Amino acid sequence: MNIISRRSFLSHSAALGLGTALATLTDVPFVMKRALAEGSIGLPGSNGRVKKLLFIFLRGANDGLNTVIPLGDSAYGPPNRVDLEIKKDPLQSFAAIGRAVFPEAGPAAGVYDHPYGLGLGNGFAALHPALKFLAPIYNAGDLAAIHRVGYPKQSRSHFDSQNYWESGAPNDNNTKDGILYRAMVESGLANTAPLTGVSIGSSLPLILRGSKAAMTNVSDPTRFNLLAVPNTPQGNAKADTFLAAANRARFADKRDRDFLELQYGNLASSLQIFANIDFSEAGNTFRDDLATDGDTDYANANGGGYYLFPTTNEKNGGWRRSSTSTRADKYVVPTSSYDLFNRLKAAALVLNKTDALVAGVSIDGWDTHSNQVDQPNATGTTGSHTGSHANLLRRVGWAMYALNKYFNRYPDKCRWDDLAVVTLSEFGRTSVENSDNGTDHAEASVMFTAGGGIKGFEAGPLGEVRRTGVFNCGGTGDQSVPWQTGPTGTLFKATGRYLQRNTDYRSVLGKLIRDHLGATQEQLNRIVPGYANAAESLKAKGTQTRDNTPVIGEPDLV
Amino acid sequence: MKPSWSHRWLTTLSSASGWLAALASLLAQARETPDVLTLGLQNGRPVVEFAPAPATLEYRLLQAPTVNGLFAPAAEAVLTGFQFTGAALQWDQRFFQVEAVPLAADTLTATTLLHRIAYGPTPDELERVRALGSGAYLAEQLAPEKLSETLDFLDPTPRWKQVKVTGVASTSGGQTRLYMYLEGSGDAYVDNFRLVVGSSDTGTQTNLLKNADFETGLTGSWTVSANLVASAVTTDYAQNGSACLHLVAASGGDSQGTSIYQVITPTVAVGTPMTLSFWYRTSAEDSPLVVRLGGSGVSSTASLSGQDNSPAQILAKLLSGEGTLTDLRAWHILHAVQARRQLSEVLRQFLENHFVTQISKTRDYFDNRGYDGTQADQISTRTELIENLRWQDALLRPDVTFLDLLKISAESPAMIVYLDTVGSRGNGTRIANENYARELCELFCFGVDNGYDQQDIVQISRAWTGWTLELVQTNQEFNPFALRSKTYLDPTLTNTTELNANPNLQGLWAFNYQGTRHNLSAKHLFYQTKPDGSVDTTKPKIIPARFGPRWAGQPYGLVLAANQTGTNGIKEGYDLISHMANQPFTMEFISVKLCRLLVHDGFHLGYDFSDDHQTPEETLVYQCMLAWDQGTQKGQLREVLRTILNSDLFHSHAGSLQKVKTPLEFAVSTVRALRARNEDGSFTADTDGYSLAGIINRAGRLRLFDRAEPDGYPEDAPAWISAGTLTERIRFVQSALMPVSMTGKSDAGTATTTDPVGLLLKKLPAAQLNDAGAVARFFTDLLFPAEGTANLGEFRDLAVTFLNTGDDGVTTSDFNQLATGSSNYDLRVRGLVALLLSTQRFQEQ
Repeated sequence: MNIISRRSFLSHSAALGLGTALATLTDVPFVMKRALAEGSIGLPGSNGRVKKLLFIFLRGANDGLNTVIPLGDSAYGPPNRVDLEIKKDPLQSFAAIGRAVFPEAGPAAGVYDHPYGLGLGNGFAALHPALKFLAPIYNAGDLAAIHRVGYPKQSRSHFDSQNYWESGAPNDNNTKDGILYRAMVESGLANTAPLTGVSIGSSLPLILRGSKAAMTNVSDPTRFNLLAVPNTPQGNAKADTFLAAANRARFADKRDRDFLELQYGNLASSLQIFANIDFSEAGNTFRDDLATDGDTDYANANGGGYYLFPTTNEKNGGWRRSSTSTRADKYVVPTSSYDLFNRLKAAALVLNKTDALVAGVSIDGWDTHSNQVDQPNATGTTGSHTGSHANLLRRVGWAMYALNKYFNRYPDKCRWDDLAVVTLSEFGRTSVENSDNGTDHAEASVMFTAGGGIKGFEAGPLGEVRRTGVFNCGGTGDQSVPWQTGPTGTLFKATGRYLQRNTDYRSVLGKLIRDHLGATQEQLNRIVPGYANAAESLKAKGTQTRDNTPVIGEPDLV
Repeated sequence: MKPSWSHRWLTTLSSASGWLAALASLLAQARETPDVLTLGLQNGRPVVEFAPAPATLEYRLLQAPTVNGLFAPAAEAVLTGFQFTGAALQWDQRFFQVEAVPLAADTLTATTLLHRIAYGPTPDELERVRALGSGAYLAEQLAPEKLSETLDFLDPTPRWKQVKVTGVASTSGGQTRLYMYLEGSGDAYVDNFRLVVGSSDTGTQTNLLKNADFETGLTGSWTVSANLVASAVTTDYAQNGSACLHLVAASGGDSQGTSIYQVITPTVAVGTPMTLSFWYRTSAEDSPLVVRLGGSGVSSTASLSGQDNSPAQILAKLLSGEGTLTDLRAWHILHAVQARRQLSEVLRQFLENHFVTQISKTRDYFDNRGYDGTQADQISTRTELIENLRWQDALLRPDVTFLDLLKISAESPAMIVYLDTVGSRGNGTRIANENYARELCELFCFGVDNGYDQQDIVQISRAWTGWTLELVQTNQEFNPFALRSKTYLDPTLTNTTELNANPNLQGLWAFNYQGTRHNLSAKHLFYQTKPDGSVDTTKPKIIPARFGPRWAGQPYGLVLAANQTGTNGIKEGYDLISHMANQPFTMEFISVKLCRLLVHDGFHLGYDFSDDHQTPEETLVYQCMLAWDQGTQKGQLREVLRTILNSDLFHSHAGSLQKVKTPLEFAVSTVRALRARNEDGSFTADTDGYSLAGIINRAGRLRLFDRAEPDGYPEDAPAWISAGTLTERIRFVQSALMPVSMTGKSDAGTATTTDPVGLLLKKLPAAQLNDAGAVARFFTDLLFPAEGTANLGEFRDLAVTFLNTGDDGVTTSDFNQLATGSSNYDLRVRGLVALLLSTQRFQEQ
């Protein structure tokens, strides 16, 4: 006997009935329907809006050492990294303390041809040049980079480690539901609101999976409607009536039946809500307000900056249409990323146009065992700063920039100040490159968080740096476990070739779930079980006793 | 059964004032006793609501005077949904129980087999296997070498083949004409044309063509154009009757003036749904035969080989080197749909997925080696084909072992590129690539964190250096020491770079061992690690206690000596996989994966086999490991399969309908569910294979032969089921059930066709064709055969309502008033079947 209360399978296509149905689904504030729950996840603040989270999962294990690069460590570079080395810019003072370097493209240079690490203004760390669009967000104080993130007894299996990141319970294979799923359940809304957590991708990721409530996954929002035989409006309505009734039919218990019922119910409600959002290509009109990347040619000719969500060649950057340009390749992201930006746009629309609290996408392809970078050519236009890893980082850099601009320029139910964006990746890669121009599985990596409420770089009135947005990678006052340089230093701390963590990923997510989304500490102890265990040192600085590793506890992000 | 009845009885007794009670039966063996959920009294009648029991043919309400009394059928009990209302309560008959008459045990097992070792039941297989018995079916499938399979063989014998197309008349104004012609010069034998109004031909409609069986010559009905003037009626062959038309074309045709045609009277209105069929005799003729109405609304183009899109024809293309990924996928899907050796197909997909490779990575590899995109497609497709053909062959060997299958994967160029051994070097100070080494432990043999650690991965990666690819002469494909081909396609090239470039060399890309890349250090595999991280060469790892006395405590280290060159160097790799293939870790992991594939998803790694408190799942895995270990050779696949498929767990309700279909299983099982063989050799549901690749990808990115992550596609439901993927699944079945001309058909493709009315005509007595109840029962029983008729009542009621409601969803439109051959009847049935296939229950297997 299925114990979950059944939802009716609502008509999705009868345009006539849509207005009324939608009103009941979206206009009634769900806080009214909310079950008695502690905390304030999903509760509007004094400004009437709720805090939201957008996650971007970098699946395959991102090479954190070529993402936020410890250029202040002499051990980064030969002989450990030769083909992969990103060098300091010989024309810039790397030691200068201040803002991040943000090289805009000149008329003769392409966007991404800058070959050097972009100093983050702490005299030690640099961004991979493909991440240059993070620099303006960093300089606005809305971005933090947390390096050396991992968890005790780090698994170097993608699948285990992704599961642990998503379940929030490392080394515990019995936790079958996701950390953000549990956060949604704690909100008290998961079974009353039609949408809480939403993923836009091929399948519902573990981070949003659980057995008591259905989170939503939409694969392709542009074809998110059913068909019928005959395929007419009336035929569709007749089919919906049948399916709604068939969903209520009772059957004997079987292993997957409660789960199927929840997901069919979620299908019905999400069909309703998403029918009212324009996910189409024609609706993708969101643009930068500035002359993006200093491209005044494009801005003057097109009345504004680049499209935020590049989903076609025409919406990908602006150099192609510059009459004065000598280059024809000013794409902001690789042309193979249109699917990602379609999904990212959908995730942004969902957060902005519905009451959903969490949305997320994945970017695959980070498992760079071989050919992580291009071979250098004679003119220097290819090399360690180009290639497969750089192409992935370009996606991340522009995605953050696009989200920053979108939620600042086009806010509806969500503004940049209400949002935290966070990147996840299951582990880092070997400090030493392998014989294949690549890197193998290792331990700690780097996370980014961004949003109006994220505490990052801060300068005083005289330009003096009050805090940096870089955690655990050089600089002053931002770390409790200093980065030791040299051949026996931090880069090799974990069994020879692996960067050792000094922050647990759960401390980052926990901080966001409690201090951004609004969980109480008691709720957080349930959402992230490790918080209740002092030996995990997730909140305050300490030593994680499982493998005796010092950690800083929660970074001061929010 | 659930143990909760007594508790329920007590609480019910007290809450219902003690005068009513339900009792779980003192079990009659074959009968299930469903849980009684509520008991009540309405208008003096007892009302008993109960929970559905699995696989039930009939529910009965029983009553007795005392708890221990004799329970007998209750008089006048009326069943509504899952609630009985009895006759007015008798004070001396106040104890009730519900009894479920189950599906016969062997019928249940037969159905479970068709869901697990086959890609779902077909109507014909359901009948055959239930008649044959589950044991005989299992024996048949476990010995595929004794089961003839003709899928991959082209049939050169001429035979009559029928073409049937449905469309909408599209000529604008004037006469309607039917044309036939060959696209080039040549000849063909054709016979028995039928053109009827309607989106299917039930045999009852009027044939709009005159003299379409050619029994009375050509003149009068048909007009013959000049290029076809040698055509004539002949009695050399006939599909039916004594004559057919021999079409002889001096040159190709394309329109009325170059065709044999007939004017159809009366003229058919534009937009009328039409079904055209005819027969042709297969031949080696190259020129395709075109038969169409004016315009393109109803049109067919047939290659006279009669092998269009057959697995055999696609395989021939693949073997010629001209096939690409879309062909390979179609071949694979058609095998799943059509094969008699269904278990072999299920297992080959399992192997393809277990030893997963990503064709786009292989394609990139060849793209970077001088080939153009098409050549890179073709070469990479061949690597996937070869490993699959090798597995297919291996599965026909009665004693095939896991090691045999692992070797095929290790030697496959697709794997060598995918997990980067192709470029890995361990000579000198180079650090070998760890990708293959890690997955060999984690995903192919031992399972994650099961008996190995990082040190072993480093050691294995060194042993695995030198396994790369080379372009060798065709007859050297399976010689890993073969030299690079020196046979030039164009030997006249003067530029030596062009002369020696890959695309100018004749041969095949094959596994090749290059000793210069091999790491020459001694390797201690599965030895313990010292605190400083180095290997303790004195202490091999020990099999942990949880494996129980049969294995626990045994050392399983392997030492590979230093300085192994030449054949001794390549031997390190083979020694290593031979060593790993039969360790208890591998036995456990592969057994768990097979149990998940064949029974349910709730099996996991890490059982403690040393204790006595074993769950049925743990017990079954242990039995599989024993079967693996105790055979004449270790690791015989059939021994493990036999253990699983003969287990109590598999035969019980815990094995039935406990899994959700993957997108591949869903798409294939949709076609199979409606696929019955017609007398003429055609089927009531069919696909070209090509058109299913789209849905399989869209419903969760199951991209056959092209998985990016090395863990293979998952089996469990949460990975596949979400609002987005359910949308794609429902769109697909709706589209598959559409007639070809309907908007939305592109989702399933016009080459995926279904004819549920054709199926009804074959399987349901003519007198019941207009009986909504009979049609509803037929389809619910057919599509949900393991559910039991008694559990399908709610679906049947919905189906009857659907059949008796007009297409507007509102108006009553009695099904028994629809003419059997009419398009209204056809659409009504299609709509119903599409919806039954859209329910939660069809997601399961």
